[in-house]
Amino acid sequence: MTSTIAPVPHAPAHILARNVCVDFTVAGRVTRVLNDVSLSVPKGGFVSLIGPSGCGKSTLLKVLAGLLAPTSGDVSVAGVTPVEAVRQRRIGIVFQEATLLPWKNALDNVAMLMQVAHASRSGDEIRQRAADMLRLVGLERAAQKRPAQLSGGMRQRVSMARALALDPEVLMMDEPFGALDAITREEMSDFLLEIWERTKKTIVLVTHSIDEAAFLSGEVHVMAANPGRILEAMPIGLPYPRNEESYAAPEFARATSRLRRLLKEGHRQVRAA
Amino acid sequence: MTATDNVTRVPANVDRAAANARMREVLARFMPPFVLLVGVIVVWEAVSRIFKVPEFVLPAPSTIVAVLIAHQRDLGYAAFVTAREVLWGFVLSGIIGAAVALVIARFATFGRALYPLVVLFQNVPKVALAPLFILWFGFDLAPKVVLIVVIAFFPVAINMLVGLQTVDSNLVALMRSVGASRNVILWRIQIPNSLPYLMAGLKVAVTLAVIGAIVGEFAGAQAGLGYMIQFASTQMQTALVFAALVEVSVLGMLFYYAIEWIERRYIDWMPHTA
Repeated sequence: MTSTIAPVPHAPAHILARNVCVDFTVAGRVTRVLNDVSLSVPKGGFVSLIGPSGCGKSTLLKVLAGLLAPTSGDVSVAGVTPVEAVRQRRIGIVFQEATLLPWKNALDNVAMLMQVAHASRSGDEIRQRAADMLRLVGLERAAQKRPAQLSGGMRQRVSMARALALDPEVLMMDEPFGALDAITREEMSDFLLEIWERTKKTIVLVTHSIDEAAFLSGEVHVMAANPGRILEAMPIGLPYPRNEESYAAPEFARATSRLRRLLKEGHRQVRAA
Repeated sequence: MTATDNVTRVPANVDRAAANARMREVLARFMPPFVLLVGVIVVWEAVSRIFKVPEFVLPAPSTIVAVLIAHQRDLGYAAFVTAREVLWGFVLSGIIGAAVALVIARFATFGRALYPLVVLFQNVPKVALAPLFILWFGFDLAPKVVLIVVIAFFPVAINMLVGLQTVDSNLVALMRSVGASRNVILWRIQIPNSLPYLMAGLKVAVTLAVIGAIVGEFAGAQAGLGYMIQFASTQMQTALVFAALVEVSVLGMLFYYAIEWIERRYIDWMPHTA
């Protein structure tokens, strides 16, 4: 991988992937998981990756987040390679499972990565920052609670606070609300928009929910499987700030029906192949 | 409870109700095994009286209790000797088992070399080594402790290893992403994660430790409950054999529940099975 990619002059992309391919070798057989994927996300943008299971959306996120090296192609985040961006703490990651330490309370879980990343800072400083982050996600009163005492939505918010604590420029989220019930999901969507508007992070969200993708994103990348690829990058023409009423807007209806059609199309192609 | 009594009546009632509920819960837990135990003893006593079973074949519970009281000094000393062996053997098993697990988890290559040897060694019938240990280490504490360790370190090592290795890979990825070294990940994530598994291994180990001590004493000893069982059985003092067995069981239970207590007290993030 080259370390930098010349920026496109008219659209300063914060995240840029060009011709990314990923092959997995299982039992001696090479499978193409991602084929020739290119995308760009502007600074402060909110982009979703949506697609059926096995379309490689999580794999693509892992590549963008520096957790997986692509077989070929170039990726840059904030002008450097993802691995370098991770090293510079520019990328925060939130997984589907909250992946908290069950033996630590919410505050210590938020502080966990900071204690490693900012080893030189004092314990008080780190705890203060962790408490601020818990306040940001509305959990200041649950600071002393262990993960087992928190609901699924609260655990996921602790996980977000942990990612935000390192003040990354980019937040990579892999189906962060996938394990939550429908009501909590919508609450978390509202909450995520609020955080995004307040912190101005660039967000890449992997989801399999059409409504979630349309409600949250400025642009949705629709993916298809076998091999995993991007079918279309679809802008959502729904103005921010968005709220309950956005679900009733005609732009929302247009976006979701088009997304639905694209996903079905991708699915048909797979079955025909 | 008395403090709340003079504040208002309602909290006192609530308190009392809560205390009653707790009491019922405790009773519900301990009553069934207690009733079963009493039932078995009563039937046993009745059978040995009605059928006049000879005492050297199967002594009645009342006879065993009488022997327990009559020989309490001898039995007490024997129990002390055996308990000392179990304690030393168990503690060393825990330390060595945990150390083996840590080495295998931390140093992958060495671990790959060590693991099959540990498993191979596990398949040696270690009871057969007891005479050898007597030969090497004499008749006192040492051969029993060594025998216990070779029997009991394995479940500790294997359980702890599972705990060290079943950490969430995403969590490890996050830690790596902020530059955590292998030692930091081991110390902050893997070791705490392994503690409930370690406790499960220790519970198995303590049971094996009691067995190891008794077998070790069978192979050659001058004191202890195992020695006493063997001695009494050659003398046809079956009631004394049973009295020693009672003490062995009590000893084993004390050790087991001591570990369970430590687990409940200090490792409280795992849901406990009854």
